[in-house]
Amino acid sequence: MTTITYEEAAHLLRRMGFGGSPADIDDITSRGREGAVDFLTNYEQIDNREMDDLLRRSFDFSDPLDFPKFNRGELLRWWFTRMTYTRRPFEEKMTLFWHNHFATSASKTGDLFIYNQNLTLRSHALDQFDDLLLRVARDPAMLIWLDGVTNVRGKPNENFARELQELFTMGITDVVTGEANYSEEDVKEIARAFTGWKFFRVRNDPNPFNYQFIVNPPEHDNTVKTIYNGTQSARTGNLDGADVIEVICARRATARYLVKKIFEFFVYPLVPGTSDNATIEKFADVYVSRNHSIKELVRAIFTSDEFFSQRARFGLVKSPVEIIVGPIRMLGARYNPGASARDGAANILAAVSIFLGQELFNPPDVSGWKLNLGWINTSTLLNRFTYANLLVINRTRDLNAPGLWLSHEQLRSFAKKNSKKTLKKLLSILGPLEVDAQMFAALRTYMESDDQGNPIGFALDDLTLDKKVRGLIHLIMCLSEFQLN
Amino acid sequence: MPVTRRQFIKRGAGMVTVGLVIPRVWLADARGEQVEFTPKRKLVVIQLAGGNDGFNTVVPYTDARYYSLRPTLGLRETELKTSDGSSTIISSQYGLHPAMGEIKDLYDEGRVAIVLGVGYPNPNLSHFLSMDIWHTADTNGSGSRGWLGKYADLALIGQSNLTAASIGSLDLPRSFGADKFVVPNIINFSLYNFIADPNYPGDYNNQINTFNVGASRALSTGSFIGAINNTAFESVRGAQQLQRSVSSYKSSISYPANNPLAAGLQMVAQLMTTVPEASLLYVQMGGFDNHSDQIGDKQNDRSNKLVGDHATLLKWFSEAVKLFHDDVTEHGLADDVVVMQWSEFGRRPGENASFGTDHGTAASIFVIGNPVRGGLYGVQPSLASTELDPAGNVKFKVDNREVYATVLERWLGADSKTVLGAQYPNIGFLG
Repeated sequence: MTTITYEEAAHLLRRMGFGGSPADIDDITSRGREGAVDFLTNYEQIDNREMDDLLRRSFDFSDPLDFPKFNRGELLRWWFTRMTYTRRPFEEKMTLFWHNHFATSASKTGDLFIYNQNLTLRSHALDQFDDLLLRVARDPAMLIWLDGVTNVRGKPNENFARELQELFTMGITDVVTGEANYSEEDVKEIARAFTGWKFFRVRNDPNPFNYQFIVNPPEHDNTVKTIYNGTQSARTGNLDGADVIEVICARRATARYLVKKIFEFFVYPLVPGTSDNATIEKFADVYVSRNHSIKELVRAIFTSDEFFSQRARFGLVKSPVEIIVGPIRMLGARYNPGASARDGAANILAAVSIFLGQELFNPPDVSGWKLNLGWINTSTLLNRFTYANLLVINRTRDLNAPGLWLSHEQLRSFAKKNSKKTLKKLLSILGPLEVDAQMFAALRTYMESDDQGNPIGFALDDLTLDKKVRGLIHLIMCLSEFQLN
Repeated sequence: MPVTRRQFIKRGAGMVTVGLVIPRVWLADARGEQVEFTPKRKLVVIQLAGGNDGFNTVVPYTDARYYSLRPTLGLRETELKTSDGSSTIISSQYGLHPAMGEIKDLYDEGRVAIVLGVGYPNPNLSHFLSMDIWHTADTNGSGSRGWLGKYADLALIGQSNLTAASIGSLDLPRSFGADKFVVPNIINFSLYNFIADPNYPGDYNNQINTFNVGASRALSTGSFIGAINNTAFESVRGAQQLQRSVSSYKSSISYPANNPLAAGLQMVAQLMTTVPEASLLYVQMGGFDNHSDQIGDKQNDRSNKLVGDHATLLKWFSEAVKLFHDDVTEHGLADDVVVMQWSEFGRRPGENASFGTDHGTAASIFVIGNPVRGGLYGVQPSLASTELDPAGNVKFKVDNREVYATVLERWLGADSKTVLGAQYPNIGFLG
């Protein structure tokens, strides 16, 4: 067993999930590198009944036409509740990855189909990629989103055929060799292969969410298509969409592209060149040798030395979802999702996410969100600071009130006998973050100053806890260091 | 109908943006290349996102080809009048869309320059790439710097107050991509603030001072943390200045709540009239991707061309610009303000089967304000079938960089060659 340090365990939890409490991190530390990754990836074995019970109490998604109970706000509340409460954080994080990868917006699909797609992504998040891709391609959300339903024989629509190759599998050019992966002719031929892909609702089906995929014969182009002519992947024949997906998934370019996409989402941004190309190839080999298993690929990535390298540590920018959910879990703050999105502050996390630039179920376009510095501008940064303040100033004592709060008792558990120890404790909980001596001193000065800025020392009384420790958490969450993941 | 390259969903008609550039005072490398800063002169850029239909904005009402290409959407000469009956005809060849009565009035006063046929070489029909080409003033649309960002890096460095900003959207327009400047983007003024615990207002200064220690650190450049820290400093500094200033805004002009561009331009007016240095501002309004139902009411009655998606958008544009002009006039700033409008492309001259128009190439644009030499500039592209490209689109006549060069040289007093990478002709609508 390769041992891991507390800091490494925290890094693993921040990346595979949304960060954890000191107890969560201790637990991961005790499992060692492989043990921890196995524990987090084999999440179906983790008891999640507490969250399931909460979801049952807080949501009624039995009828997609019951608008007050099933709408976009409810879907957002539902996902934030999952991310905040799940004991299987990697399940949610991987679903988030796929939501960004197969970026689909409810603005076009509607709420029912985006919900169905989310369930598909979650249930098959670690399956064989070929299988997941085919499921997503046949799912109503994608058929609507990229105009599959209007892609018919004689009038092909190239939207899905193009993005399938450019964004979902290979990229325009091979991410390692730089060679073109397909031609405009391939886009046209592949569009024909996907003609007639439709979905329908089974008559009298008691499950109102159940839709079935079908290839509608009169609308499907049953003639010969030729794809990737002149390459090793060349195929000619009466190809269907499933045949095309099989051909694309067998290409090395897809393995490389997918590895790069997953690696950059979870580890660090890669730069063109021999060294990082070798990293891509190494994990692409794993992916290919394990029959395109996502689970085996991520297992290899998360147990790798690259993942635990200095380059990886705080080498990404926290996404809005990580900024929002992370500190709740780290600090042991409370989020009560209430019984309805319209119930007081029940949907506060979703509301904040929109102002931070990540409205789930509504990515900016089919290429997904722009990560890292794409999250940062003066407005989104000020909104991050405002969220930090929101988290610390809510002292709700009514446990039944929907919303977000940080209790006085929780604050007291962070407090140590002096400002230095208390500061160290909070920097540890919120990262662990390392700050330079100048910043550390400034934060201590803050803790020990009265309103005129005069030094009065740090006392462990209720007022100091309520004023200065809350203020300190706000300030730490405003640090540029905290924006990194 | 061509396949839309990407789903174009985020720029609905309700989204507006104004941009404000905040300078970095302590940047030591702001020497030498700096040009004279003329804070009195102000530029407001209005982006109409989605691709505005130039042919139905500035209507070539004597061109028979226009009517043969647009049997349904074409605006007849008799239809070129506002709802109160005033003509919107501006010359023996052109009339404005009848929803643009306010712009017509400004035109008659000599305050509106219309540049016909503006585009760029090798037109791209993708919203995203075409916008990038306009933002970056680079025909590849590549590179991280925008034309306004380059100007800001050159001219606004060293200014200690809020000089530029984008308003209304969570994204910073790529026009503002800069190496040194951090351009603030402001969704609304009340959100644009550094807020601390209201229970302890006395602690606020301690919070700000501690925050500023962090944000003033020189963290490694070229890294995520360095870029974040620069943005953090500028965001809070700008927010504090903004909060001190904009509340003093007073105006007799009432901007209608249902006009998203008016909301953005009111914020621009608020900034300009309360922050004297605010000189480079950016607003956007979306919704111009009128593939269908460009005209027609909810019952699909296409007879009244004052009704429909495009008419509504142009009405908003016209009304908002007029109110903004009146507002800056009231504040004595009208001689210092130029408004420049652009859109990523025009639309195809031939209408489609859905009462709309598909992605096009060149279109007319507007430059508005007291300093502007009003009139028609540029050349209208021919609609003759032999002059259209295989997709049915017109050939551009004026390079968009000529518009930028004219604004940079003749209004902002900047070296346009440094910003644009080459010398472009002065169109003549300014100075």
